[in-house]
Amino acid sequence: MKPTHRADPPRFADWLLEWFCTPHLLEEVQGDLYERYQRDLRLVGEAQANRNYIRNVLRFFRPFALKRNPSDYPTPFLISPIMIRNYAKTSLRNLVKYKASTLINLFGLTLGVTACLVIYLITHYELSYDTFHPDSDRIYRLVGESQFNKTAEKHPVGFIPNAVPAAIRKEITGIGTVAAFHNIESEVLIPNGSEKPTKFEHRRHGVDNAEIVVVDPTYFDIFTYKWLAGNPKTALNDPFKLVLSERKARKYFGNLPIEQIMGKELIYQDSVHVHVAGIVQDWTQPTDLTFTDFISLATVRASQLKKGINLDQWDDNWSASQAFVKLPAGATPKQFTAQFQRFGKAHYPNEFKFAPALQPLADLHFDEDYQDNYTRKAHLPTLYGLMGVAVFILLIAAINFINLSTAQSAQRAKETGIRKVMGSSRASLIAQFLSETAFLTLVAVLISLLLVHPILSTFQSLTPKGLTFTLFSAQTGFFLLAVIVVTSLLSGLYPSFILSSYVPALTLKGQAGLAVGRKATLRKTLIVFQFTISLVFIIGTLIVERQLSYMRNKELGFNSDAIVSIRPPWGEKGKVLAQRIRSLSGVERVAMEWFPPMGQAFMVTKLKYQGKKQAVEMDVSAKIGDENFIPLYQLHLLAGRNYVKSDSLREIVINAHYAKALGFRQVNDALNKLIEFDGKKYPIVGVVADFHEQSFHEKMGPVFMGYMPHARNLGIKLSTKGKQMSELKTTLASIENEWKAVYPDNRFEYTFLDDSIAQLYEKEQKTSQLVHTATGIAILISCMGLFGLAMFTAEQRTKEIGVRKVLGASVASIVALLSTDFLKLVVIALVIASPIAWWAMNQWLNDFAYKIDIDWWIFALAGLLSVGIALFTVSFQSIKAALVNPVKSLRSE
Amino acid sequence: MKRTYLGEFEEVVLLTVAVLHERAYGVAITDELDRQTGRSVSISAVHAALHRLEEKGMLTSHMGDATAERGGRRKRLFTVTTLGSRTLHDIRSMRDQLWNSIAPNALPAISL
Repeated sequence: MKPTHRADPPRFADWLLEWFCTPHLLEEVQGDLYERYQRDLRLVGEAQANRNYIRNVLRFFRPFALKRNPSDYPTPFLISPIMIRNYAKTSLRNLVKYKASTLINLFGLTLGVTACLVIYLITHYELSYDTFHPDSDRIYRLVGESQFNKTAEKHPVGFIPNAVPAAIRKEITGIGTVAAFHNIESEVLIPNGSEKPTKFEHRRHGVDNAEIVVVDPTYFDIFTYKWLAGNPKTALNDPFKLVLSERKARKYFGNLPIEQIMGKELIYQDSVHVHVAGIVQDWTQPTDLTFTDFISLATVRASQLKKGINLDQWDDNWSASQAFVKLPAGATPKQFTAQFQRFGKAHYPNEFKFAPALQPLADLHFDEDYQDNYTRKAHLPTLYGLMGVAVFILLIAAINFINLSTAQSAQRAKETGIRKVMGSSRASLIAQFLSETAFLTLVAVLISLLLVHPILSTFQSLTPKGLTFTLFSAQTGFFLLAVIVVTSLLSGLYPSFILSSYVPALTLKGQAGLAVGRKATLRKTLIVFQFTISLVFIIGTLIVERQLSYMRNKELGFNSDAIVSIRPPWGEKGKVLAQRIRSLSGVERVAMEWFPPMGQAFMVTKLKYQGKKQAVEMDVSAKIGDENFIPLYQLHLLAGRNYVKSDSLREIVINAHYAKALGFRQVNDALNKLIEFDGKKYPIVGVVADFHEQSFHEKMGPVFMGYMPHARNLGIKLSTKGKQMSELKTTLASIENEWKAVYPDNRFEYTFLDDSIAQLYEKEQKTSQLVHTATGIAILISCMGLFGLAMFTAEQRTKEIGVRKVLGASVASIVALLSTDFLKLVVIALVIASPIAWWAMNQWLNDFAYKIDIDWWIFALAGLLSVGIALFTVSFQSIKAALVNPVKSLRSE
Repeated sequence: MKRTYLGEFEEVVLLTVAVLHERAYGVAITDELDRQTGRSVSISAVHAALHRLEEKGMLTSHMGDATAERGGRRKRLFTVTTLGSRTLHDIRSMRDQLWNSIAPNALPAISL
């Protein structure tokens, strides 16, 4: 019986079935479903039959019926062992066959990975400072905002008046644990029975870590140490108690058993006798809190220490005195702001204002606003810049890889074609090419692992002190794995897509299966990108270098040549030493001073001048030295005279800036006016020209000079007229002899003023070295890429070149033909790079109060340089191609 | 004795293929199952079982005729292989053996 009308099952269900059902089952399945549908039509009507049909189709969503293989001939599993062996073999053959590009890629990748690894180690080290403390998110440093008078600027300070921590503990509710501490500098004496005590020298400033602190016992409630001996609860409760770190205990007492070290006597600052009450294990992770000798705070009031640390001082900030706070769980710093404000108002009703604040521990290593004298600050923007540099260098290397492999792809088209004909799926082709990249990256990583140690030791001046490289740490391993994966994907994904997209029928016939134009566009874009990065680096180098030489060569306003600074210990013997050195033959002049005119240390104090209309009171920098100070540094006197020899402050000399700030039109007008300092009035006897007293980051400000008794440091001008370097050495040696005669127990140390001024620009020096290195690497990698590309282009166009030569083209014209393409790209890159570099360098230069202008010729020079480099790179290949005998290249035709 | 495991449904399908002898294909097997056992099974379940049985080597198949009601599509006709036959016999003899081992009156009496 035939149905009266022919109904078809729902079209979409059929379509669905055809879509998901594996082809070799489709016919029978669909046939069965149709048959059933026809029966249903007869039995239950069209509507129900349709519903049944849909239900039946949906039920075929079963593993056996689902499309699994696109063809009747299944390809082996993506990473079947046999195929892997095949991939490895072909990869190796290809790598060996195209030695040049393999080497270029390997070299680029190695450089990129090494740069990444080194930078990772540095940044990871810096960022891990003080992150290991339990509850580190609850630990804060007590800092504050101070203001010297109503008109002065408010500025953040990292240290607090001595009386503040104890008061805060009492008055601020809910603050948790507060621990005050004071850095002290001291040599350490260990009594040795009737014999001379053993002596341990002072730390060297700027070289050694700060290690000796006077602390509240609560310090150990805030920071967790492992106690090897002693009771953490009681160790520092009494005066004259001391806790040592294990390393320090070993240094002082050698291999004495720990129990015997307990109770030993040590002497700090000549007269403070303390006894060991505890020994703690040193922290091993990076920390700024490098303290090792903890003297109990109760010792201060009971000993000579009270001379240096006045615990009741409310209105003086001293960088050695600070405090840490551990907030109770759940408390936020914000909730104390109001209380702190009230605290500030209550305790500082007068001119000097101070309001406490909290600085997170994590901020300690980075925030330069809160100065202190024990941490080494890391510059966060530099760290981020470094990371950027690493990424860019790796990117450039990856771009080389992309460019070279797409350029090379025509050669590999046949292999792809055959693989496809043999049934390779696109996915497995992509996997194959990606694994080639991964293999190369892996090799690069292994090489860079070998390189890391030598590099870190070469660049020791750039890397933070204490950085060590542990190859087998989980974090480093994880990072390297991430580098391998990211680099392989970055550099391998696009080429493998290209390679796997070829149509086998075309490639096997000998045509590249891809439109040449599109490929070239991408390659050109990438080259432009590479050169943009390189150019930014080149411009950066030029500008940083110019700024540095500007800082080196600009008139400082005083003479810093052949001047040596030495710092004798406290006491009257300094004058004796000065006298003895003065009499040496190689010494021109000796001045006793606080500090040289320019350097890290300076001192600011408040001076008042009663003008005609109103009083001018302002912070003025003090340069204290004897009558030799001005002549020694050859400060330029604009008016008046030098102050005369005296034994206390009698008269002062100011700088032109201060004279102007006081309202004098002419510098001469300032002479003989009286300036009030510390309640007494002193006449101005001279005005000197402005000179730099801080780094070029800071503007020149008001300065006064005069003699005060506690000028103990010596500035020594060596005579250099017609003398050799070796003679300077003899002079230094004789100065050392005099030192030995006066201070037999103290180490002789000296610094050349030029060096200590250069130290002010340590960060910039590092930046410059960094930019140099990055530039070098970036240029090197880009040029290698360019070199490889030029090689391929030349190779691909051999026949064209041959024909041109036969038709009479000159070598020069052929070189020009091959080079112009690349040169155009470099010029485009220059156009893109210039504004970027200008912006970035402007940001950097904005940090300086005295800086160079960014001239247009810098960009032109950078452009010329890069064009030159590119031309040099490309021309090598072009000339080679142009010189080939056309008979050779055309023979096969 | 090691042999390929056969699920209960697979066993029934395999038997049905034997029953239908040379006329065994998806829809026919489904209908026969319905008629003989009274259980209503979906075509896809039967197809899945046939597919598995073929993979296990108990069935072979070849493409048969096309009919109009199938929209001109051919049937896949299944036949039991020697292995299939062997397996069925094994199962049967094992069952028989078990039946024979049951002591009289060991099973509760039921009225058929």
